[in-house]
Amino acid sequence: MLFIAMFIAMAIAMFFVTLGFGVYRITVPEAISVFFDHITGNVTDVRDDYYVWDIRTPRAIGALIIGAGLSVAGAIMQNDFKNPLADPYTMGISSGAFLGATLSIVFGFSILPMFDGINATVVNSFILSLVPMTIILVVTRIRKLSPAAMILTGIAVMFLFSSITQIIMVISPSEDMASAYEWRVGSLSSMTWECIPIMAAVAAIIITILYFLSDKLNVMYAGDRAVQTFGEKADVIRIITLILVSLLTAAMICYTGTIGFIGLVGPHVARIFVGSNNRYLIPASAAFGSAFVLLADTIAKISGTNGLPVGVICSMIGGPMFIWILIRQRKSAWM
Amino acid sequence: MMNSESGDMTKEQMKTEYYRSIAKKLALLVVSVLGIVLFVGLLSVSNYEGIGLKETYEIIWNHICGNEYPLKSLEWWADRYIWNMAMPHALAAILAGMGLAVCGTMMQSMMSNPLADPYSTGISSGACFGAISAIIIGITMNSMGEEIGIVTNAFLGAMIPALLIVFLSQRIHMSPATLILLGTAISYFFNSMITYMMVTTDADTLKSAYMWQIGSLDGIGWSMLPIMFAVTATGSAVVMMVSKKLNVLSLGDNSAISLGVDVQRFRTACLILMAIMTAAIVSFTGIIGFVGLVAPHLVRMVVGSDNKFVAPLSMAVGALLLLAADYIAFQLSSIPVGVVMSIIGSPVFFALIVYQSRRPGAIY
Repeated sequence: MLFIAMFIAMAIAMFFVTLGFGVYRITVPEAISVFFDHITGNVTDVRDDYYVWDIRTPRAIGALIIGAGLSVAGAIMQNDFKNPLADPYTMGISSGAFLGATLSIVFGFSILPMFDGINATVVNSFILSLVPMTIILVVTRIRKLSPAAMILTGIAVMFLFSSITQIIMVISPSEDMASAYEWRVGSLSSMTWECIPIMAAVAAIIITILYFLSDKLNVMYAGDRAVQTFGEKADVIRIITLILVSLLTAAMICYTGTIGFIGLVGPHVARIFVGSNNRYLIPASAAFGSAFVLLADTIAKISGTNGLPVGVICSMIGGPMFIWILIRQRKSAWM
Repeated sequence: MMNSESGDMTKEQMKTEYYRSIAKKLALLVVSVLGIVLFVGLLSVSNYEGIGLKETYEIIWNHICGNEYPLKSLEWWADRYIWNMAMPHALAAILAGMGLAVCGTMMQSMMSNPLADPYSTGISSGACFGAISAIIIGITMNSMGEEIGIVTNAFLGAMIPALLIVFLSQRIHMSPATLILLGTAISYFFNSMITYMMVTTDADTLKSAYMWQIGSLDGIGWSMLPIMFAVTATGSAVVMMVSKKLNVLSLGDNSAISLGVDVQRFRTACLILMAIMTAAIVSFTGIIGFVGLVAPHLVRMVVGSDNKFVAPLSMAVGALLLLAADYIAFQLSSIPVGVVMSIIGSPVFFALIVYQSRRPGAIY
C-alpha cells in the first residue's frame, strides 16, 4: 500500500510539474496557479490560459492515461501468459496499428471512407490493431490453443503484418517513410481535448473491470490446472482479459503511435516493489506507468520542439534504470 | 511426443512408432537438403540467363573439380557469373540461415522460452547501433572505407550488449527470466539511441539506415564468406556437442543443477558463443529476423523437442528458408529478403501451429 501511495503521489506531482514545461515560457508554480484559476473560473491572462489549459493539460492527461493503460495492459498480459517478455503488443496489436497508420500516411487510404487525414490514421490503426486479436480468437474457438500457441499465433500474424508494412515503407518515398517511422516511434504532441474523453472513458472502464477480476487473475498466475481446481475456466478468463487488454491498448495507441517500453517495464518495476498479487499490482502499475510517462514527456518537451519523442526518452532513461533495479533486487520477482 | 501414450502400447506399436519418428527426421533432413540444392541451382540460373538448370549443376560441379572451360566460351562466362555472383549470395544465405537457426534453438532451450530468438539479448540492437552510427553520423572504427566500416562497427556494436550481459550476469542471480529482461532493457536502450539518430537525420539517410535494419544479402562477396563460414561451422559444431546439456537445461534450472550441470557457467559460455555467431552473421547481412525464431519451432513441431535432432535439423530448415526467400527476393528485385521470408513464412507457421495443436502430446 505504501508503494502504491508513493507512486500515486509521484504521478500527481509529475502531472503538475509537466504543466510548467514546453515552448511557451512559464514557471511551474505559475502554471499550476493558471491551471487552478481555470478550474475555479477566474481566468486572468488569456494567453497563459491558452497554453496551459488548451495545449499542456490535454497532453499531460494523455500521458497519464497512456502510462496507466499500457502498464496495466502489460501486467495483465504477463500474468495471462506467465511470460516476463509479454507486453501489450505481444498479440500483434502494434503491427496491426502500424500497418493501418502506414496505409493512411503513405497512400492516404482510409478503411472507413468518411474519415480523412489524421482521423483516417486514427481509425485505420484502431481497426487494424484489432485484427490480430480477432484472428487469434477465431482460431482459439475452432481449436483449443495453449497460451504458448496463442503467443506464437500472435507472432505469426505480427510478422505477416509487419512484412507488409515493410514493403510499403521500402517502396514509398523517403519523406512518407520518415513520417510513418515517426508515427511508429510514438509521440504525445498531437494530444488535444478531443481525444481525451474517449481515451479516459475506455481506460477508466477497462482498468476498473480488470481490477475486479484480479482475484481470478491471481489464480491464473498459479497455472491453468490450479484454476480448474478453483472451479474457474482458465480459457474463458484468459480470453475475456485478452479482449479487454486489446481494446484498451488499441484505444491508446491509435492516437499516439506505438509507444513502447512502458507496457513491458512498467509492470515489472511495480512487481519488484509490490509483488505479483494483482490486487496491488494493477493499481501500482497504473500509478507508476503514469508517473513515468509524465516524466518522460516532460523531458521530451525540454529537449525542444522537434527533439526527442516520448518513446525514445522512456527507453533511454528507463533502460538503465530497469537494469539497475534488476541488479539491486534481492530475490527475483519471477521465480 | 512419442512417450505420451507409451503406457498402453504394445511392443509392436512402440516399434512402429519409433521407426516412424526416425523416418520423419530423415525425411525432413532429405527434403531440406534437396531444397537447398534446388534453390542454389535456381538462384544461379536467374543470375545468368541462357543456360538450363542441368547445365548449371554441371558448371558448378566442374568448377569444384577444377575443370576449366575454353576462354570466353559460353560456359566460361556462365561459370564466371555463377561463381562470382550467385554462389557467394547462395552460400551467404545458407550460412546465415544455419547460424541464426541454431542460435535460435540454443536460445529457446537455454531460456526455456518459446519467444526467445538470437536477438533476445540485445545483440541486434547493438549491431544496428554500430551500423547506423556509421551510416548516419559517419563514425567508424576502421578507416578502410565505408562498406568495411559499417561491418566493423556492427560487429563491435553487437559485442557491447553481449559483454554487458555476461558482465552483469556475474553479479546477479541469473534466472532465465532475469537474463531475458536484462537483454530487453539493453536493447530498448540501444533502440532508443537508434531511433534518436533516425528521427533527427534527413529522410534519405533514414531510408538507407532502415534498409540496413531490415537486412539484405546483396553485396556479399567471396571475401566475407570465410569469416562467416568459420564462425558458423565452429559454433554449430559446439552447439551439437552440447545438445544433451541443452536438453537438461530446458527442464528448468533446478532440474539441471540436480542433474549435475553447472548452470551459470554453461549459460555464460552459451551466451558468449551465441553472441559471436550472431554478430559475425548480422554485421554482414543486417538484422534478418524470423528465421532464428521460427526455424526451430517448425522443426520442433515435426520432430519433437530433443535438441540432438532439433539443432542440426533447424540448421537445414533455416538455410532452406533463407535461401528460398533470397531466391524470391532476387526475382522481385527491390524487396529485401527478410520481408519476403516473413510474408511467406508466417502463414506457414500459422498453419502449423493450428494444425499441430490438435494432436495429442503437442508441445505448445
